Amino acid sequence: MLKEPGNEVAIIGMGIVCSIGDTVQDFKQSLKKGVSGITRLADRKGPKLSVDIGAEIEKFSFLDQFHHYSDLPVEVLKKAKQCAQRSPFSVQASVLPALEAWQDSGMFASEYNPERLGVVVAGESTTQNYRYGLQADFENAPEYLSPRYALQYLDSNQVGVLSEILTIKGEGFVVGGASASGNVGIIKAVQLIQLGIVDTCLVTGVVADLSPIELQGFVNIGAMVRENSFQTPSKASRPFDRQHAGFVYGQASACVVLQSCGVAIQRGSVVQAKILGAAMNLDGVSTTEPSITGEAGAMNMALHRAGISASEINYLNAHGSSSPLGDVIEAKSIKQVFKDHVSTLWVNSTKGLTGHCLYSAGVVELIASVLQMEGEFIHPNKNLESPIDDDLRFSGATFEKEKIKFAMSNSFGFGGINSSIVLQNCHG
Amino acid sequence: MEKGNIFLVVKDVISEVLPDVDSETVTIDKNLKSLGANSIDRTEIVMLSMERLGLKLPLVSFGGVENIEEMIDVLVNNT
Repeated sequence: MLKEPGNEVAIIGMGIVCSIGDTVQDFKQSLKKGVSGITRLADRKGPKLSVDIGAEIEKFSFLDQFHHYSDLPVEVLKKAKQCAQRSPFSVQASVLPALEAWQDSGMFASEYNPERLGVVVAGESTTQNYRYGLQADFENAPEYLSPRYALQYLDSNQVGVLSEILTIKGEGFVVGGASASGNVGIIKAVQLIQLGIVDTCLVTGVVADLSPIELQGFVNIGAMVRENSFQTPSKASRPFDRQHAGFVYGQASACVVLQSCGVAIQRGSVVQAKILGAAMNLDGVSTTEPSITGEAGAMNMALHRAGISASEINYLNAHGSSSPLGDVIEAKSIKQVFKDHVSTLWVNSTKGLTGHCLYSAGVVELIASVLQMEGEFIHPNKNLESPIDDDLRFSGATFEKEKIKFAMSNSFGFGGINSSIVLQNCHG
Repeated sequence: MEKGNIFLVVKDVISEVLPDVDSETVTIDKNLKSLGANSIDRTEIVMLSMERLGLKLPLVSFGGVENIEEMIDVLVNNT
């Protein structure tokens, strides 16, 4: 996927529902102000856990959110209702930003050959909490298990639902890459477009609807902030701060619509940013350990494919999960790639505000990067009081004004999965 | 349980599974397909109705059912 003329990929639409915004414009305002979505977790079924904070999508109601989409064609809304009103939260939460992104991209307003459209669903094991919620009734009477279960427990149910609502008939599939799933989804969609398999592709980062078992599991493996580590929930996600103590659970569903630049020009689509280069690699390890070689390797490969040098990037949306080891390794990797240019490279982590949105994090942070390009700002690192590294140029408690020319967005996942994406600003 | 009461239970289930259907139009002679129910909706309506009525009948019992009334007859014959 080396950059070639006419082989570039444009971002033409975006949609999001998360703890700090249920539309892209809300999210942009929250980013600029540095609003944190982290609070006490809502009461949930099951035993008391060792974690009690997170950035949840509060009071989610599928049908109530439809007022945001009143401009959409009536038949699309009808189909969305039909397909998803009896679906689990993780599917309903995907449908809303997909509608927003498709609307934003102008796709509803024009005629397309459905066979040239694709959908990539980024996220794995996305129905764990749905299943957990059914367990008790199932133990009592397995005969009454909903006939929808066999369809809806599959991650690929999202492919069916989104393709029916948006009439997508080219390729569609699910990708998983742990916390890098979102970036992996974007990379696969870019490749589909560059290979000429589709012209336009929806990428959905699925909300991580963790059941109590996964929440406890992330605590037990030592990755997630424990109960009582911080008195104030909004202080708990502290990427690159000396007091970082693990990631905070976040919920977000996020979508982007990608299109071949050639098609975008022909069709007059509004190009919000270009994906110039993207790369992923593996450390070849089965554990949670991050590696400088892998992370720096992914960043260098993304730059190489973009055909630009590190010094041209002036903003980095870090993976920055607030993990003590992960933050240190990423800071070292960034310095290895950017060398002296770190003094002019703005760095922040959206996870300080949204928590770690796991499967959707890459898509959330791509959207955050495009919004900062468009708004000419670098969002605050809300809780960065005592940085772990003095050479890196982190934004502080308030936003910085900056015109971003080229940006990079990193995502890393358990199992040695490293990924990086290079973006070009297309605003002015 | 009487047929009329079972119909009320089934009608409630239908409005839960098909919230867009006007409950006035749900009469006992209608078939679920004509109300807009797809095959999964239809199975779910049968299973939820059985659950509410405390019945556990094999789904094949509903094999030849053509409309709501015939579905209710199967339920009545087993209560």
